[in-house]
Amino acid sequence: MKVPVSWLLDYVKITATPEEIAEKLTFAGIELEGMERIGGAYSGLVVGEVRAVEPHPNADKLRVCRVFDGKDEVQVVCGAPNVEAGGRYPFAPVGAMLDNGSFKIKKAKLRGVESFGMLCSASELGISDDHDGLMVLDPEYTAGTPMDTVLGPPETVLELEVTPNRPDCLSMIGIARELAGIYGVPLEMPAVDLQETDIPVTDHASVSVDDTEGCGRYTARVVRDIAIRPSPSWMQRRLELSGIRAINNIVDITNYVMLECGHPLHAFDKALLKDSTVIVRRAAANESMKTLDDIDRELQSDTLVIADAEGPVALAGIMGGAGSEIRDDTKDVLLESARFDPDLIRATARRLGLSTESSYRFERGVDPETVEWASRRAASLLASLADGKICRGVIDVYPNPPNVRQVSCRFDRTRDLLGADIPDENIIAILSSLGLKPQEISGGACVLEIPSYRGDLEREVDLIEEVARRFGLDNIPSAPVAARINVDADDTPWRHREDLRGEMTALGLQEITTYSLVPEGLLNLFFGPGEEGRIALPRPVTMDQSILRTSLVPQMVETLGRNRSRQTEDAALYEMGRVYRRNQDGSSTETIRLAAGVMGVPGGNSIRTREPVTAAGMYGRIKGLWEKLAERRPGLTWTLRPCEAPWFEPGHAAEIESGGAVVARFGVIASGIRKEWRLQDPVAVLDADADVLASSGRAMPRYQALPTYPSVTRDLAMITGHDVRHEDILEIIRANSPDELETVELFDVFAGKGIPEGRKSMAYSLTYRAAGRTLTDDETNGYLTSVMDALRNVLHADIRDR
Amino acid sequence: MNIQDIEQEKQQALAGIAAAADEKAVEELRIRYLGRNGLLQDIMKGIKDVPNDQKKEYGQRANSFKTEVLDAVNARKETLAAAGGQTGAGIDLTLPGAWPSLGTRHPISALIDRAVGIFRSIGFTVAEGPDIEDAFHNFDALNTPESHPSRNPADTFYLEDGTLLRTHTSPVQIRYMETHKPPVRIIAPGRCYRRDTPDATHSASFHQLEGLYVAENVSLAELKGDMEFFVRRLMGREDIRIRLRPHFFPFTEPSVEVDYSCHVCGGEGCRVCKHSGWIEIGGAGMVDPNVFKAVGYDPEKVTGYAFGMGVERMAMILYGIPDIRLLYENDVRFLRQFR
Ligand SMILES: [Zn+2]
Repeated sequence: MKVPVSWLLDYVKITATPEEIAEKLTFAGIELEGMERIGGAYSGLVVGEVRAVEPHPNADKLRVCRVFDGKDEVQVVCGAPNVEAGGRYPFAPVGAMLDNGSFKIKKAKLRGVESFGMLCSASELGISDDHDGLMVLDPEYTAGTPMDTVLGPPETVLELEVTPNRPDCLSMIGIARELAGIYGVPLEMPAVDLQETDIPVTDHASVSVDDTEGCGRYTARVVRDIAIRPSPSWMQRRLELSGIRAINNIVDITNYVMLECGHPLHAFDKALLKDSTVIVRRAAANESMKTLDDIDRELQSDTLVIADAEGPVALAGIMGGAGSEIRDDTKDVLLESARFDPDLIRATARRLGLSTESSYRFERGVDPETVEWASRRAASLLASLADGKICRGVIDVYPNPPNVRQVSCRFDRTRDLLGADIPDENIIAILSSLGLKPQEISGGACVLEIPSYRGDLEREVDLIEEVARRFGLDNIPSAPVAARINVDADDTPWRHREDLRGEMTALGLQEITTYSLVPEGLLNLFFGPGEEGRIALPRPVTMDQSILRTSLVPQMVETLGRNRSRQTEDAALYEMGRVYRRNQDGSSTETIRLAAGVMGVPGGNSIRTREPVTAAGMYGRIKGLWEKLAERRPGLTWTLRPCEAPWFEPGHAAEIESGGAVVARFGVIASGIRKEWRLQDPVAVLDADADVLASSGRAMPRYQALPTYPSVTRDLAMITGHDVRHEDILEIIRANSPDELETVELFDVFAGKGIPEGRKSMAYSLTYRAAGRTLTDDETNGYLTSVMDALRNVLHADIRDR
Repeated sequence: MNIQDIEQEKQQALAGIAAAADEKAVEELRIRYLGRNGLLQDIMKGIKDVPNDQKKEYGQRANSFKTEVLDAVNARKETLAAAGGQTGAGIDLTLPGAWPSLGTRHPISALIDRAVGIFRSIGFTVAEGPDIEDAFHNFDALNTPESHPSRNPADTFYLEDGTLLRTHTSPVQIRYMETHKPPVRIIAPGRCYRRDTPDATHSASFHQLEGLYVAENVSLAELKGDMEFFVRRLMGREDIRIRLRPHFFPFTEPSVEVDYSCHVCGGEGCRVCKHSGWIEIGGAGMVDPNVFKAVGYDPEKVTGYAFGMGVERMAMILYGIPDIRLLYENDVRFLRQFR
């Protein structure tokens, strides 16, 4: 809300700078969002009338003007493109001051032509950033009029954020009331002097409220024989400083009173109300009306309208109708001041997508007791500023005035909740300063009567908040910190997941965080358009973030691609986060996944081995990552099998099964997908169930005695068929070895030169150790012979002699 | 030559060999000491002049001269060869090392981890809730009725079935209190969603850190003290002060916004705090009695405080990140800056 400070000071007599006022309000809960200074010192500036414009003899962009300043005609050189003969512009004659007096206009010579003063733009006057050309003034202004008269004195406008619980602060008087309380000075309400004629209002209008739930109070006054004209400049200026366009004296008065006291008003042209009748009712289902903005609105049966004998003439509390608006020939005015139901106004405003100054205030709730004051205030202004004759009395339909509310506040409770030692008397004094009236003090509590404008104060805690605000949050001490442990609380899953992040970091991967909302095309690229269980946003802000992700993999590959396009050659990344799926029964499931992605040859800053990136090599890296994770989880039993997912390169991906479920998949991303990001070299990705990894196999380690006798290592090289798998060989070696076999390690795989077509060489290192003695050569040779025999028999391996 | 002379010559020879700059110099020394006309020959020849009772010891000394000098020569030659035949101090100590690259934490998760750690140290435990929420947990139970302006569909992602993407982490408060008896002391990090058009400071999804402490007689003063403790630990400055400003949230009363004195300038005013000396860290307040009623707690028996902070905002302030989108681009050159 925009609040011109000079207007505010009409109601509260304080001498404080705008900055001080803003600070006080901020710490009272009405936060300053911005402060705008309008105008400045226009000392010596007048309206200048340009009588002639001639080209400058020595400069294309300059013009030589004859400017009349009300007394003399002087020559002025001007560079603005919009200067025109006959135009009126702010004129700074020789001797005038600009920039708040820091810059004095002197006689000058511009490219050989003398200039006696300066025509000004709005920015040179310090009133806007517009420096595209001269500030064009209304041709009605006569030359020589001081600019102070045109623009008014300098003003500071506060932009305040009024929170939704304080509708009483949506006005000058509301803010002034806060300030009055803070500074301890009285609030000065404007005097309303109503000069009524003898003709009673009931002769000229009738009101019927059919819906007393939607409209708790409706008042109508009639003001006759008004004269439509522009409102006085002081009123126009205040409206404009507050962000409302001036229209004519009648409309301006209703807006002015709304800004002043926070209560929206509406003025009807009485002649346009059929039978001078006002009916407050719900619309019929098939009714429609054209609102002031010239839009035909379909009405629904829950829409609250103001109707005349024929049909709706206004959307109650939101906007008037085009058919009854004030016109240039309006003579008699019916002035509406009412209280409409906040929920009803909100629902209609939302449905119609229509938010007005009026609906904004009704939605938040207006004070029913201000209704009549606002009506009187507006009527008196219609008399003084529009020559209106006020009919006697007011039609006031107010069937159920609310009871005066009383709320009790316990002193101990106040002190306990705030943790501050505020004496009883101070609590009472603070609440009294807010306009609350203490009724009864007993039993450590005070019962207070709540003024009607504070509809937000309903409970004890609301009063305690008021005490905190006025007492000053700065005066509330910081209690000493104490560790209070809740032994029942358990966040083990979270801690395990944090450990897993730490593990990934320790393995040298960089963590990434991506959006959980993704574009549809990205998911389609990996999982096809038919993927089930996707949750789409009905109204996304951007199509790039329109579906909740079903996997971390697409963004992992996208991130690798983005980095590759930025000339990063190698990366190892991971992300842990939620994925989302709609279940068959309509419920949704959120699971936490761990994804990793590798690209290029790892190396960081070290000297790189410039070996080519192969699909097999990348598979090896991502499998190695899985193995490292698995190694740390000895309790996790798992088996590996090929993974056929189409987003992997065929034959280059595996899935891990554990406990009957696939807990991880890893492999090389399909080239057709990599192409999307011009990832020419293979990249590999792991996608795992983070909760399984975080929680499984982390049994308490048990110490095992370190071996005391030496081990014996034997190497074993063989040539086998190309399709014999490492795991098959391992299985045969283990099955044909005694317990003394400690480890088997593959140290070489080779195919090519010297090896027959379709075969490969595999070399293993077998380590034997006995628990209670040193193994002899004969024993180990015997072990090895059994293994070699088995390999020959089962795999037809050709064991190479050493 | 006597026994002492041999010992002296040996020390000199060893020192010379150890300091030899290259293989050629080592070889020259070898010839001088061990060569056909070298010192060793002189020593061996000298044995005939030694008195008989000393001959045995002289022989031992001569032998150790030979072996020690020879070992030194060989060792020096090996060292020099290993250095690639280079002269001087050996290898190029400045070549890049060969250790796998460093892993890094993302600034958002690292900050969450750090903040959680601080709260954990005063007895908070982590609680979590779903991103896809229902209106009851996100609004109703948080004292935010249908009519409340903050439920505007223009600000909230509603899904087709009437559920929604949570607009804050506060529903975790409700879920936790529904299933646990007081006292409650939780910290709840998580993703939230608002219908904001993405720009340098807005994102449709972002992270919040929510805190809740409910027990008998919890006060606003405790909220202030705990916030002060948190910010001091987070920023590593013990002189940081906390300032509360009144505000409005439907689910707390009194409601406040929490500022802290700038960690860069200490409150003098600088670019980071936009010359105000203060930086806003989040919203907070005393849990509204209606929230307690919604979860079946008796507001006469327990009170509590709650707070919420924007993680991205904090990360941007802490690390000087100018654009929120940088946090989600994951450029490794960006990530590497947060090791
Ligand atoms: Zn600062």
